Amino acid sequence: MNEKIQHIADSEWEIPTNFVPGMRVPGRFFLSESLAKGLEEGALTQLANVATLPGILCNSLGMPDIHWGYGFPIGGVAAFDEETGIISPGGVGFDINCGVRMITTPLTLADIPDMKELVESLYETVPTGVGSKSPVRLSQNDLSSMLTDGAKNAVELGYGMKSDISRCEENGAMPGAEIEFVSKKARQRGVPQCGTLGSGNHFLEVQVIDEIADEATAKTFGVAEDQICVMIHCGSRGLGHQVCTDHLQVLEEATKKYGIRLPDRQLACAPLHSPEGEAYFGAMAASANYAWANRQVITHLVRELFAKKFGISYEEMPLVYDVAHNVAKWEEHDISCGGPRRRVCVHRKGATRAFGPGRKEIVQEFRDVGQPVIIPGSMGTSSYLLAGTAGAMEKTFGSTCHGAGRVQSRSSAKKNLTGDMVAHDLARRGIIVRAPNAAAIAEEAPDVYKPSSEVVQVVHDAGISRIVARFRPLGVIKG
Amino acid sequence: MTFEELDHTADVRMKISAPTLTELYIESGFALAATLYGEYSREKGEVSFPIEAEGKDAEETFVNFLSELLFLTETEYLVPTSFDLVVCETTVSGNVSGVLFDRKKHAGGIGVKGISYSGISFEKNAHGYELIIIFDI
Repeated sequence: MNEKIQHIADSEWEIPTNFVPGMRVPGRFFLSESLAKGLEEGALTQLANVATLPGILCNSLGMPDIHWGYGFPIGGVAAFDEETGIISPGGVGFDINCGVRMITTPLTLADIPDMKELVESLYETVPTGVGSKSPVRLSQNDLSSMLTDGAKNAVELGYGMKSDISRCEENGAMPGAEIEFVSKKARQRGVPQCGTLGSGNHFLEVQVIDEIADEATAKTFGVAEDQICVMIHCGSRGLGHQVCTDHLQVLEEATKKYGIRLPDRQLACAPLHSPEGEAYFGAMAASANYAWANRQVITHLVRELFAKKFGISYEEMPLVYDVAHNVAKWEEHDISCGGPRRRVCVHRKGATRAFGPGRKEIVQEFRDVGQPVIIPGSMGTSSYLLAGTAGAMEKTFGSTCHGAGRVQSRSSAKKNLTGDMVAHDLARRGIIVRAPNAAAIAEEAPDVYKPSSEVVQVVHDAGISRIVARFRPLGVIKG
Repeated sequence: MTFEELDHTADVRMKISAPTLTELYIESGFALAATLYGEYSREKGEVSFPIEAEGKDAEETFVNFLSELLFLTETEYLVPTSFDLVVCETTVSGNVSGVLFDRKKHAGGIGVKGISYSGISFEKNAHGYELIIIFDI
C-alpha cells in the first residue's frame, strides 16, 4: 500500500489531497487490511484523479470491490454539486445500467432432480454470448417506448408482471431519458439484442439460500432458507455501449470548450447543466431503461421455463429486487461534509445504490428496513442479499459494492487454467456451468475474483449495508 | 499473427505490430475479431461492407475504425476474414469482407463493449508500427 494512504478506521482508508495535484477532496475507500494489500496503484490513482473533478462533494469513494477501470475505478462513487459539478461517462462505464436482479421460486433443492438438465434448458432458452439474437421482434417505435419506459414497457409487451415494476430501482425507468440523443447506430445495435444476456462477467445463476442472517428482513424481502432463486446479471448491451462511445467523443470536446483541466483523458466530462452534459444524461437514462427492459425480458423467459418444467405458476416467481451498477443519477442527499440536503448527481461505476430506511425512493413494503441490495459472487462463490443502511447515507451517498471485484487478468487466468478444469472442479462441488466456450469459463474462474464473503463482510462491518441472506450457486450459464 | 494479448486485470489489452500502417489497421481488425470469436478459419468472404473512419490523430482514427468494425459485427453479424483498405495519416477507408456469424464455428470469444482510449499508444519504430489498445469487455 502506498505510504501516503492513511488507515482511518477499521476497513476505511483515506487518500490525502496531496496524492495527485489538483485534488479538491480526499479519496476514501473501504477495504479490509488483507484486501488492501492487493489494491492496484492504478486504481488508487484513478480514485485520486476523480477527486480533481469540478464540483465533487465530500470524498471520491471506492467500494471494497475497487479495481482499475476506465476513468473512474470500478467500485467508484462520486457525487457532484448541481451548479458547479460535472457528468462523465468515465464515471458510469461502457455498460450503462449493467445490473443484477433476483427472483425467488417456491422450489427447494429436492424439487430439482437434474440440475445439469435445468442448466442446459436455461442455456437454450436465454440467448447467451457473442452473436446472440433477441427473442423479441422490436420495431423502431417499440424501441423508442422501451428507451422511455424501461421495464414497464417490457411488462406492457407481455414480458412480466405489474408487480415487477416497483421492485426495480427507479421503478425500472429513470426519468430524464431523451431518445433524440441516442444515435441511429446505438438503436441499430439495440434492436437485435433486447432479451440477451451478453458475455464477459454477465451470467444467469440458479442458487439456493443457505443462510439467513436477519430473519425479519429476509421475511420482508420474501426470502427463506432452502429456497431456490435465480439471479440475472446483464446490462444495456450494444445500445448502451454505443451511447458511451458516441458521447465520449462529444464530451472530449466539451472538456476543452468549458476549460476543464483533467489529469486523465478518460475523465472527459461537461458541466451538468450544459448542452453536452444534458445530452449525455438523456441518452444514458434511455440506455438504463433499455437495460431494465432487457433484464425484464430475460426474467420472463426464465419464469416461463420454470413454470413449464416444474409445474409452478408464473406468479409464484416474484422479483425480489433489481439494482443498477453503472449509472449517474439525480438524488437528494444530506451533505455530511457540510451543507444542507440538496440535489446532487451521484455517479456509481460498478457500485450499487444502498439506500437506508425511510427513503421515499424505496417501495413502501421495504421502506422500513432499507432497500434490498444484491451482491453476486463469482461462479463458485456465494452471492448475498443485503439491506441499505443509514450508514451508507452518511458515508457513501447511499452506495455499496457491486460484486467481488477481479484480482487476476483474463490472460493470466487462461494461462493457468482451462475451462474444462474449472468446470470439472465446480462440478465436484455441485455447481454446473454452461458457456459458449471453455475460455469463457476459465476467464471467469472463481479464483480470479476476490472472495465475495470477505468483500461483503467489509461493507457489513463498515456499516454501508447489512447482510440479510447468503446464496450458494448450483447452476450457472455464462455469456 | 502480429498481435498478442498483454496482461490487464479487467479488460483485453492488445499489442499489435505491422511493417506498414495499412497492415497495422488490418491486424488491429483481426485482433478485435480474435477477441470476439476466438480462433477461426479466415475462409473466403461471403459478404462485404464498406468501412471508413477518421480522427484528429492516429489514436482516435484507430478507435473509430475499430468501433465501426465492432458495429458491423453486432448489426450485420459479420465475422471478418479480409480487409481491403486505403490508409492516409488519419483516415482509413475501404471494404471488410467476411462470413456470417455461426455459433458452432465462432462462439469462441468474448463480447467487446467498446474501444478504449485508456492506455492507448501508437508509435513508428525501426520495425514498422505498433499499437497498444484496450478492448473494454
